[in-house]
Amino acid sequence: MLIVPGGALLAQATAATPAAAAQQADSLPQYMTWALIVGGALVFIAAMFYVIKVNQFLYKRIVQMEAAKAGVALPEDAANALGGDSFWTTMRKKYWEDVVPVEREKDIMLHHDYDGIYELDNSMPPWWLNMFYITIIWAVGYMFYYHWGGGGPSSEEEYKNKVERAKKEMAVALAGQANAVDESNVTALTDAGMLGEGELIFKNSCAACHGQGGEGTVGPNLTDDYWIHGGGIKNVFKTIKYGVPEKGMIAWSSQLNPSDMQKVASYILTLHGTNPPNPKAPQGDIWKEEGAAAPQDTTVTDTVKTAEPAPTK
Amino acid sequence: MSNVQQFQYDNKIVRAFGVASFTWGLVGMLVGFILTLQLIWPELNLGLPITTFGRLRPLHTNAVIFAFVGNGIFMGVYYSLQRLLKARMFNDTLSWLHFWLWQIVILCAALTLPAGITTSLEYAELEWPIDLLITVTWVVFGLNMFGTIVKRREQHLYVAIWFYIATWVTVAVLHIVRSFELPVSLFKSYSVFSGVQDALVQWWYGHNAVAFFLTTPYLGMMYYFLPKAANRPVFSYKLSIVHFWALIFIYIWAGPHHLLYSSLPDWVQSLGTVFSIMLIAPSWGGMLNGLLTLRGAWDRVRQDPVLKFMVVAVTAYGMATFEGPMLSIKSVNAISHFTDWTIAHVHVGALGWNGFLTFGVLYWLWPRLYRTNLYSTNLANIHFWLGTLGIIFYAVPMYWSGWTQAMMWKEFTPEGTLKWGNFLDTVLQLRPLYIMRSLGGLLFFVGTIIGVYNLVKTAGQGSFLAQEDAEATPRPAPHGRVAGEYWHKLIERRPFAMLFWATILISIGGLIQILPMVFIDSQVPKISTVKPYTPLELVGRDLYIREGCVNCHSQLVRPFRDETERYGEYSKSGEYVYDYPFLWGSKRTGPDLHREGGRYPDSWHYNHMLDPRTMSPGSIMPPYPWLLDNKMKTDDLAGKIGALRKLGVPYPKGYEKDAPAELQVQAQKIAKNLADQGIKDQGVEDKEIVALIAYLQRLGTDIKVKNQAGQ
Repeated sequence: MLIVPGGALLAQATAATPAAAAQQADSLPQYMTWALIVGGALVFIAAMFYVIKVNQFLYKRIVQMEAAKAGVALPEDAANALGGDSFWTTMRKKYWEDVVPVEREKDIMLHHDYDGIYELDNSMPPWWLNMFYITIIWAVGYMFYYHWGGGGPSSEEEYKNKVERAKKEMAVALAGQANAVDESNVTALTDAGMLGEGELIFKNSCAACHGQGGEGTVGPNLTDDYWIHGGGIKNVFKTIKYGVPEKGMIAWSSQLNPSDMQKVASYILTLHGTNPPNPKAPQGDIWKEEGAAAPQDTTVTDTVKTAEPAPTK
Repeated sequence: MSNVQQFQYDNKIVRAFGVASFTWGLVGMLVGFILTLQLIWPELNLGLPITTFGRLRPLHTNAVIFAFVGNGIFMGVYYSLQRLLKARMFNDTLSWLHFWLWQIVILCAALTLPAGITTSLEYAELEWPIDLLITVTWVVFGLNMFGTIVKRREQHLYVAIWFYIATWVTVAVLHIVRSFELPVSLFKSYSVFSGVQDALVQWWYGHNAVAFFLTTPYLGMMYYFLPKAANRPVFSYKLSIVHFWALIFIYIWAGPHHLLYSSLPDWVQSLGTVFSIMLIAPSWGGMLNGLLTLRGAWDRVRQDPVLKFMVVAVTAYGMATFEGPMLSIKSVNAISHFTDWTIAHVHVGALGWNGFLTFGVLYWLWPRLYRTNLYSTNLANIHFWLGTLGIIFYAVPMYWSGWTQAMMWKEFTPEGTLKWGNFLDTVLQLRPLYIMRSLGGLLFFVGTIIGVYNLVKTAGQGSFLAQEDAEATPRPAPHGRVAGEYWHKLIERRPFAMLFWATILISIGGLIQILPMVFIDSQVPKISTVKPYTPLELVGRDLYIREGCVNCHSQLVRPFRDETERYGEYSKSGEYVYDYPFLWGSKRTGPDLHREGGRYPDSWHYNHMLDPRTMSPGSIMPPYPWLLDNKMKTDDLAGKIGALRKLGVPYPKGYEKDAPAELQVQAQKIAKNLADQGIKDQGVEDKEIVALIAYLQRLGTDIKVKNQAGQ
């Protein structure tokens, strides 16, 4: 019961990932890393396979031996006794596995016992030893690349490169987009859908300080006629974008994109005169719309119907 | 033979440690389960300070590590050591002193941690008097162990004992160095290291506590109990030798992988990465020697719960020790660090390796101690499946959650703003996963209860064998190298040579990393604008420590585009020089706080502490109303300033006298800010909240352009 709604939300949770993953995978070291992880996982699976295989093989042998003890006839593995190892067997023993079978383990049993525990003198699994060597070589290479003259970037250089690249990508993304609204050309939206999105942003980001209905708590009341930093879409947009840090209003430009700031600013204007309960006392000056100024609706789209007059200040 | 000696093994002490292990284990797991619920329903702290997440989380980790696993170690060591050496423990009084001292340490931890008496250093939270007690206990344990080794009848030391020796010496070194602290009062001390050095010492300690408390002693136990239970010879003696020495030498270097992309110099970070990668093979050596010892016994694994538990334990060990090195690669760590991925990783180790091996050993041991059969194989099988499912239900949602967190933190819109600019969005997304994790924890916990019931019933139907008769011939006279024997046999006859070489090997890594950081100034570039904390901020900082804020909030902005976008300029090592101790944290359940100063007005913090959800709807942070009521405690201020000056903070001479007045001025200023912002509570300037606000508003501002709201 817990899992079913969980599952639905899981799907939501991961919906966030592909885009980010794409961004993550934008550099070569990332591929290298994933190659290493996948490679490592394969080695782990191989190791487990090895363990299982060895054990299955030996288990079969035990069954055979027990059968032999019980007097059941068994075909003898004649090949075992004959001649030297083939080329591939030699290679396998050298680089992969070299284990003495259970039925011959008496030959390699060390004489000593510790409270009944004996030890076998099996050689270390060659694949394991080789893996150890490879990691050591990798480690030396890593230190060369990053510290001993290999030219690998420091954490700081890595950061700077990423920021540079991001700036270029942002410039491309922003170029020629309706998104490029700023405080000089922003207009108040009236489309219900857009205002709905603005309301959502308001509840998430603004309500904590300005109240659920904009009545004001830590921050000022947004529903009355008074504005501290000027009313109207352009001023509100500007206040949201740059913040008023000395009074505790943070700059939202890093968290909201321009079109989101436009939506939430437009929503805020719709709160005017709604008279929510527990209003905070007015602060600032009365803001009057001054219709005399010429409208500057440079970003006309079909959802933008009206343009607020420019503030005279 | 005529010279056979009769003696008895002490089983009573083994039983005592075993009972302590599973009893504390139940407590530790219950606290863990409560914590998982608090992350879903924060009001489950019931409004009490002592049950808030920040105070309970250290209780959970300490109970599981030092009480459950710690007593498990001593149970395994006291049983196997006597038999492997053919000797009773050196001294019964020491055995019982060891036992009771260790339980007192645990009891002290259980009393002080919820009370907020903590150093805030992970797995070393206990304050200095308890640290001293731990030191005494460890010396008693050492005397008893080496005493037994000296009077042994067995010529050679078996591989299990190599691991016990390495464990003893390394834990001693780690504990002593990590406990370098300057006491201010009975319940308060400052770490002698600050900032980035403190961070390095911490993760040298923390990482190797995992290595030498959770791993090497359990490997030693595996080497005794697994071949015993399977009745099979150990797969490869050579493998034991190589993986033992390689493991203890390499492990100690790997600590800095907890500090990747931090302000620790890159060269130390890289050493952490490469030694972690080189650690894969030595770790797997233990897994392989364990699993391959079962050659020819796998048919019994299907029937014998003891072997089942052990196989899953060793496999979990193999997975965790592969995952660990992968998490030590910088680009993976950039995703995993500070997220639930780490939580998943440690629980595969703790629940799988330590939990399952402990119960494998208990199920094997109890029938032997009580000369009977296990009460119920069915119940043991039920425990096995509940435990296994529990691990899966715990780990999978946490991996998912960790990945989701990281991807949401890092996701940008094409226009270059954070897709999830509000940290809270990333928290709310995880709730269903947290619910599933709770379920996993519950399954494991219920399994453990069934296991304990089974052990109690087993004890009830049997009769306890307190003194077990044994006989052996005395140890032959020591001799040098015998022609044709392995070179290693020589050192197996010389325990103190083994102790000596182990000490050398485990010291090298730490010395090479820590000494330059502490003694070469250029490793931590100075920043002239960074100033010591004001008296009020200092009081606030110690409140931050008391409340365990560090358990959910980091103070380390890494040099990533998303982090500098979200939090501000990335953290520099020079900013932390007056941080005794460092408070970087290891998990971001909430956002990073290193650039918190000036982000919100004072009143925001006031309201947020009163009830976080008024400021951040849906937040899972517990409320801290007592901070608004408690009067600020300043009587130890002079002692704190004096102690910090001794450690190197440049408070002027006689500053103790001016400090209270300075504190008052700053407190009044914040009270006025609060009043201006609509908070008119009387006497707010004397309350703890003001000190905490002062500290939070200071955070990260020393190198910031001045635009603080609170000023």
